[in-house]
Amino acid sequence: MFAEQLAGNLIQGLVLGSIYGMATMGLSMIFGVLQVVNVGHGAFIMIGAFTTMTVFTKLGLNPIFAIPFALVIGMALGFLFYYVVMQRLIKAPELASLLATFSIGIILEETVKLTFGSEFRGFNWETGKLDLGVTVLPYSKLIAAGGSALVALLLYLWYHKTRSGTAVRSVIEDSEGARVCGINVNWAYALSFALGIGLTVTSGVFLTMFIPVGINPYMGGGYTVKAFVIAVLGGLASPYGAFFGGLIFGLMENGSYTILATIKGVEPFALTRFFSFVTLLVILLIRPTGLFKSQ
Amino acid sequence: MRRSVWKVLFGVFSLVALVGLLLAGPAAALDKVVIGHPGALSGKYAKAGEQARGGIEAAVKWVNETRGGIEVDGRKVPLEYKNYDCESKKESVTSLIERLVTKDKVHAIFTPYSSGLTLAGAPIAEKYGIVYMDHGGASDKIFKQGFEYIVQTIGPGSKYHAGTLDMIKKADPTAKKVALAYEDSEFARSVMDGAKQHATELGFDIVFERTYPKGVTDLTPLLSALKATSPDIVIGGGHFEDGQLFNRQMADLDINVRAFSLIAAATLPAFYEALTYLAEGVMGPSHWEYGVTFDPDAAAKEGLQWIGPSQDEFVQLFKDALGKDMIPDYHAAEAGAAVLALVLGIEQAKSVDSDKVRAALGDMTFMSFYGSWKIDKTGKQIGHDMVDVQWQNGKRVIVWPAGARTAELYYPMPTFAEKAAGKKATK
Amino acid sequence: MSARPGKYLALIPVLAAYLGMFVFGRVQPDMWQLVAMLAFYCCLGQAFNLFLGMTGYVDFGYVAFVGVGTYGMALTLSRLSGVEGIGFGALVIGLLAAAGMSAMLSIAVGAVALRLRGAYFAIATIGVNEGFRYFIEGARIWNGSEGIIFSKDLRAIFGRETAIALSTFWADVFVIVIGASAAVVTLIYMRSKIGFALTALREDEDAAKVIGIFVTKYKIIAFITSAVFAGLLGATAWALKLTYVYPPDAFEIHYTVEAIIIVMLGGAGTLLGPVVGGLLYGLSKYWLAIILPGFQLLIFAPIILVIIVAFPEGTVGYLKKKVRGTALERYIV
Repeated sequence: MFAEQLAGNLIQGLVLGSIYGMATMGLSMIFGVLQVVNVGHGAFIMIGAFTTMTVFTKLGLNPIFAIPFALVIGMALGFLFYYVVMQRLIKAPELASLLATFSIGIILEETVKLTFGSEFRGFNWETGKLDLGVTVLPYSKLIAAGGSALVALLLYLWYHKTRSGTAVRSVIEDSEGARVCGINVNWAYALSFALGIGLTVTSGVFLTMFIPVGINPYMGGGYTVKAFVIAVLGGLASPYGAFFGGLIFGLMENGSYTILATIKGVEPFALTRFFSFVTLLVILLIRPTGLFKSQ
Repeated sequence: MRRSVWKVLFGVFSLVALVGLLLAGPAAALDKVVIGHPGALSGKYAKAGEQARGGIEAAVKWVNETRGGIEVDGRKVPLEYKNYDCESKKESVTSLIERLVTKDKVHAIFTPYSSGLTLAGAPIAEKYGIVYMDHGGASDKIFKQGFEYIVQTIGPGSKYHAGTLDMIKKADPTAKKVALAYEDSEFARSVMDGAKQHATELGFDIVFERTYPKGVTDLTPLLSALKATSPDIVIGGGHFEDGQLFNRQMADLDINVRAFSLIAAATLPAFYEALTYLAEGVMGPSHWEYGVTFDPDAAAKEGLQWIGPSQDEFVQLFKDALGKDMIPDYHAAEAGAAVLALVLGIEQAKSVDSDKVRAALGDMTFMSFYGSWKIDKTGKQIGHDMVDVQWQNGKRVIVWPAGARTAELYYPMPTFAEKAAGKKATK
Repeated sequence: MSARPGKYLALIPVLAAYLGMFVFGRVQPDMWQLVAMLAFYCCLGQAFNLFLGMTGYVDFGYVAFVGVGTYGMALTLSRLSGVEGIGFGALVIGLLAAAGMSAMLSIAVGAVALRLRGAYFAIATIGVNEGFRYFIEGARIWNGSEGIIFSKDLRAIFGRETAIALSTFWADVFVIVIGASAAVVTLIYMRSKIGFALTALREDEDAAKVIGIFVTKYKIIAFITSAVFAGLLGATAWALKLTYVYPPDAFEIHYTVEAIIIVMLGGAGTLLGPVVGGLLYGLSKYWLAIILPGFQLLIFAPIILVIIVAFPEGTVGYLKKKVRGTALERYIV
C-alpha cells in the first residue's frame, strides 16, 4: 500500500517535474546571459496558458498547435521588451532590472485582465488515459512531459552545435572577450532574452496541457517562486540544468507527501512545500551556486 | 515642563475639535443616503469584487427607480453608491474607509471581500461608529470579537454541508464512507468541521481527512491517497480555483464516487465552462443560486415582509450594471441583499444615525430574492438557509431543500469514463 | 573623520518628513488613515533600505520578518489577555517578543543565506519566507492556517475605547516613530565603521575581504538591525492596527516587492530615499484607487518603468548628484 502510493506519486512527480523544468529554462537562460532575474516570469507563463486556451476554444485546434503561436508571441514580446526597456538597464544596478521585469509582468497581467476578465477559465482536451496500476496518467500529461524533454534536448543542441548558440555561450563566459572577437553582444543579449521569453511562454502551453484549468491573469505568481527555486537547484545560469532541477523538485514535492503523511497531527501537503524549501537551503549551504555547475 | 507641553498640546487639540464642531454646524436636511464601499476591484479578489459591485449597483438602481428612493424624515431621497478599489490589500482598506466616512460622508460602509479584509476595516468602522455591512466575510470568529457595528448577510461557514449530507442519507442509506479534502484556510476549516460533525451524527464514517495549502496547482499526491480509501462521498474545496482543479484531477486520476460536492466552486457557471462534461453530476452548497424560488408569496407564507426586485429583475439590473451578459452568483446576491437590509434598517430606524440603524437591523427580519434574513446580537447572519445545486446536462439545478428544488437529485454521479462517453447526469 | 562638523545634519530633512506626516495627520484628522498608510510604506522602505542600501544584497524574503513580528504581538496579546491588570505591559512584552522573534529568525537566516551572493541570496531568502509559512501551516504551530484573530483580546486588556484608539491612532504613531528611528540608526551606521566596511563590501566584496575588513560581522549587524525594525513594524502596523493575522497574508511576498519599489523610487542606499519613495508610492496608489478604481496597476507599472530607465539611482540618488558640491550636500544623504 505505502510502496504502491510512493511509486505512483514518484511517477506523477517525474511527469510534473519535467514540466517544472521546462517552465524554468527560460528564466535560467535570461539570468545566464543578462544576469537579470525575471521577476515577471509567471506572467509570461500565463500568456502561454491564454494562448493555448484561445487556440483550443476559439480556433478549435489541438493544443499542440499552440506551441508555434506561443513561441512567436513570446519571442516578439521578448524582443519588444528588450529593445524598449531591458537594454537600457544592462549596466544599471540589480534592483533596477528586478523592478523593470516586475513592472512588465504587471503590465501583462493587467492587460490580459482587461481583455479576458479575471475569471478562472479552463478547457477540456480529451486524450484518454494510461492506467499504470499504481497510478493513472492522461495522455495529455505524457505529451506535455515528452514535449518538455524534447525542448530541453533541442536547447542543448542549439547551445552546443550551432553558431548562434556558441556565440551566446561565449557572451555568457566573457562579454568583453566576445565583443573583441567580433560578436554582436547586444544582438546576443536580445536573442537570448527573446528566446528565454519564448521558452517561458511555450512552457505555459505545456503547463496548460498538464493542468487545463485555473487559467487566470494572476496564475503565474506561484510558478514564479517555484521557478526561482528550481533555477537555483539547477545552477541558475544553466537552462538544461534547470530541466534536471525541475525533475528533482517534482519528485520531491510528490514523493515526500506519502512519507510525510505517516506523521500524526500535521498537514502533509503544506509540509511537502516546507520540505522542498528546506532542501533548497541545504543544497545552497553545501553548494552555494546550486547543484549543477554554471557554464 | 513636561506637564505644560501636554497642556499646550491638549489646548491645541481641543481648539481643533471645537472649530470642527462649529464648522459642522446644525445638520442639514438629508438629501440622499450614501453607501461607501472600499471594493476589491483588482488583485486576488477581483472576481468576487466585481460581482459584489454589480450586485450593489443593481440593488441601488432598484431602490431608486422602482421603489422611488429610501424614506427618511417622511420623504423619499435617492440612494447613492460610492466605491473605491482597495486592490484586495489590507493597507488600503483603512484609509479608504476613513475617506468614505469623513470626505464622502457616507452613511454605511460595505466591507471588502474576504474575512481578512473585513477584519482589517473593522476597527476603523468601530472608531467612526458606522454601520459595517459584511457581505463577504464568512468566518464565525469575526462575530466573537465584540464589534458593535458589523452586520452580516452572508451565512456562517459551519452550516454549508448539512443539507448535502441529509439529502444523500435519504437517497442512499448504504453510502457510508465520506472523504474530506479541503483548502487549509480558516473558512474551509469551519465549513468542514460543521460537515464532519453532521456526518458523524448521521452515522457516516469519515475515512479520509486532509487539507491542501492555498494556491496549490497540483493535487495529485493528496488525491492518490484519497483514492486508496475508495470513498462513497467526497466533500471538499475551499475557493473557486482549487475546486476546479479538484474536479479536473479527480477525472485525471479516474476517481469515481457516488456523490461529489465542492464548496464555492461547483455553483458558478465558469465551473462548467472550464470542465465541461467532467462536471456532470457534481454538487455544491450555495448561499444563493439563480433559480431559487423566493417571492412575495413565499414571504407571506412564512409571515415575513418582502422587499426588493424579483430574481429576474435583479439579474437584468446586474447585467446592466456591469455591462456584461453574466449571470450573477451568490457574491452579487448577498451584496445586493445587504443593500436591501440597509434600506429597511434605515427606514425602520427613521434615521441614518448608525446606532439607530444598527439597532433596527438587529430587530428586523425580511425576505428578498436572496431568501430570508435575520441577525443575532453579534451581527451574525442566522436567518439564511443554504441551497444545494447539481450540474445536470450542463445546467445548474437546485436539488435541495425539497421545497426550493428545481429538479430531482441525480444519484449516483456517472463515472468519468461514462461521462467521457457522453453520459449526462439526467435520466 | 568623526570630528567632521555637521555629520548628522542629514537627519533634519528625514526627521522633518516623519514629523510632517504626524502633524499633517493631526491637523487633518480625517486624513489620518492616509498618513498611516504612507507611514507604513515609508517605514517599510526605511527598514528594508537599512540592509539592502548598505550592502546591495536583495533580501526577497524580507516580509518574513514583518510576518514574524506580527505573530510576536498577536501571540502575546492573545495569550496574555487573561492576565489580570496586564494593561500596557502587554504592549511592551508584545514589542519585545516581536523584536526578539525577528532577531532570532534573522540570525538563523543570516547563518545560511549571508554566505551566498547576488541572486542566490535573493532566492534563498524567498525559500526561507515560503518555507516558514508552510511550516506554520503544515506543523500546525501558532494556530496553523486559521491564524490568530485577537480584536477581542485587545478589548479585554484595554477596554473598548482604548483598544480602538490603539488600532486607529497609536499603532500608526508607533509606525512613524519606528520609521524615524530606522532613519536615525541608518545614519549612525553610515557614519560609523559599519558603514565604511559595508560600502567597501558593496563596491567589491572580495577586495574588502582581502584588505582585512570583517565583512561578515558587519553584514550580520546590518541584517539583524533591519530585521528587528521589520518585526516592530509588523507588531504595530499589522498586528496592533489590524488585529488579525493569517499565514498567507503575513508572508505575502508582494510586500517585499513593494519595499523594493519604494527603495528604488527613492534611491537605494540613501537616507532620504525611502521616505520620498514611500510618499510617492503611497500617494500615487491612493489617488489612482480613488480616481480610476481598478486600473491603478495598469497605469502604475509603466510609470515605474519610466522612472527606472530615466533615474536608475532613484529620485534622491539623482538629487544627490545634482547637489554635490553645494551647501545642500550635507542635508541630502
